[in-house]
Amino acid sequence: MWSFGLRRAGRLALGLLGAILMAATVAAQAAPDAKHGLLHFIGIVLSRLAHFARLDFGSSAISALPAAHELAQRLPATLELVAAGALVAAVIGVPLGIILSMGRISRAAAPLIQIVAAAPVFCAGLALLWLSVQVFHWDANLQDAPNLWSAIAAANGAAIREALRALVLPALTVGAAGAAGVQLSLRRAVADARDAPYRRGLKMMGLGQFEVDRLYLVPEAIAGVLANLGEIALSLFSAAAVAEWVFGWPGAAVLFLKSVALHDWSVVALVLLSFAAIVLIAEFAGSLGARALAGIEANP
Amino acid sequence: MSLVSTNEVPGPTITLGGVIRAVGFIGLGAIGVTVGLSDVLARAPADAVDYGPPLMAPSVHFPLGTDVLGRDMASETLHALAVTVTNAGIAAIVVVVAGGLAGFIAARLPYRIGFLLRGIGGILGAVPALLLAILFIGLANRGLAPFAAGLAAAPLGFVRAFDRARALGQSRHAEFARATGISPGALLRRDLTYEFRDSFLSIATRALAAVTIVLSTVSFFGYGATPPHRDLGLMIAAARDVYFDAWWTAAIPAIALALFVLCARLAAGLDEGERA
Repeated sequence: MWSFGLRRAGRLALGLLGAILMAATVAAQAAPDAKHGLLHFIGIVLSRLAHFARLDFGSSAISALPAAHELAQRLPATLELVAAGALVAAVIGVPLGIILSMGRISRAAAPLIQIVAAAPVFCAGLALLWLSVQVFHWDANLQDAPNLWSAIAAANGAAIREALRALVLPALTVGAAGAAGVQLSLRRAVADARDAPYRRGLKMMGLGQFEVDRLYLVPEAIAGVLANLGEIALSLFSAAAVAEWVFGWPGAAVLFLKSVALHDWSVVALVLLSFAAIVLIAEFAGSLGARALAGIEANP
Repeated sequence: MSLVSTNEVPGPTITLGGVIRAVGFIGLGAIGVTVGLSDVLARAPADAVDYGPPLMAPSVHFPLGTDVLGRDMASETLHALAVTVTNAGIAAIVVVVAGGLAGFIAARLPYRIGFLLRGIGGILGAVPALLLAILFIGLANRGLAPFAAGLAAAPLGFVRAFDRARALGQSRHAEFARATGISPGALLRRDLTYEFRDSFLSIATRALAAVTIVLSTVSFFGYGATPPHRDLGLMIAAARDVYFDAWWTAAIPAIALALFVLCARLAAGLDEGERA
């Protein structure tokens, strides 16, 4: 386990270094003389890397504020949305994965899930928004909702309800995208574990079906999901970018979109770096968890 | 049992997965024909404003209604579908070449160059393809959106192809080939031929599903197609202000988009809920 952990930690460190290099390359675009030849550009990238090493990520070309400050203002909202989406993904994905791993039901539900999976996230978000306005008569403008944590801190019931209502639709959109990954990982892990030869041996030793499932199938199923944690995190961040745009959520992905449009490369680079780092860390943590639970090797 | 009967070649078996893939290919073929004939089938040219009254609900005269500028929704959806399919086709080719093919070749490169490239692919793959596509468009221009979407979706294909090629390179047939003096180049050509013969359609349709979603989302954000050559994503974006009262302005292009992605997913044989 230690050698596996060290190997994975080394891979994470290399991944993070690569992500920093990618961010430095993007940030180098911000230099006014970035297009004066390849060698000159490499020099700018190296200079940006040196700045990054001192935790200086440059300034926004629009607000003149430090890029790190811009990100610090927006990233918590994205993380809040992704966390809420992950919760929804678990609540929908785990039961769905268990139900679908029962052969006959899986075959019956397969066409429906294919149709749902074919709808792009922005279409699902718009459909949810339409339903909320037309059926539940909610206000389509979610941008004026109070901050959830401020409302909780102030113990203001009405503000908490308002903030939760603003969070529900984006979280459902993000969660639906994550649920697909959760149910698939779970279903595949259960399918692999169910056919494992040791199960017959355990039954012959006198263990009941429930005991075998509880002691061996459940850890393997959880490990299967953990082994794909990086990919699930990627789905959640991808969907969060769309949900932020559709619902006007003030997160880092919207900051990224606006910064690309305005060629604010320092901010773009930092958002990319933070997203890549979170996904790489999720992949690392998931692979360790999977290994610890059931000895499953995550994606090589 | 006679000698003849034991040597009979077993006939092709029909499986549920095979039928589903066939349905996907038939659907893609039908969409391809519709796109090819879009100029004939559509009764109004692309972006023809005031063709009918604005925001008219689906009726006998306008089976799919009209949008806020009085454009015929049926004609506009056909033209937009043609743009979406064409751009997605270009992007899918980029994915197959820069992802599948390059990943396969990289796995056999000497001096661990392949591992370096796989590492780069893995890092790029840790960024959502959508954001990567938008970054590439921001660095280049909107006219190159299909190439940007293809390059953004390529890292995942690259990594998959690389791992597959590595596994093939360590298989028994590869060891046997090396022991008998077959050159690495000949072995690569052999593996590449078999790999693409067996899985080219699956790789291409999988890429098609992935890039269609990326491209339409990029257009929805306003970074992709530009009028008058609107694609389905841009059509849906244009309907955002009015779709609460005129659902058809967003629902019709959304259904067309989902149908195209569904056919590509089915043709690729993707598992339920699997990311393209």
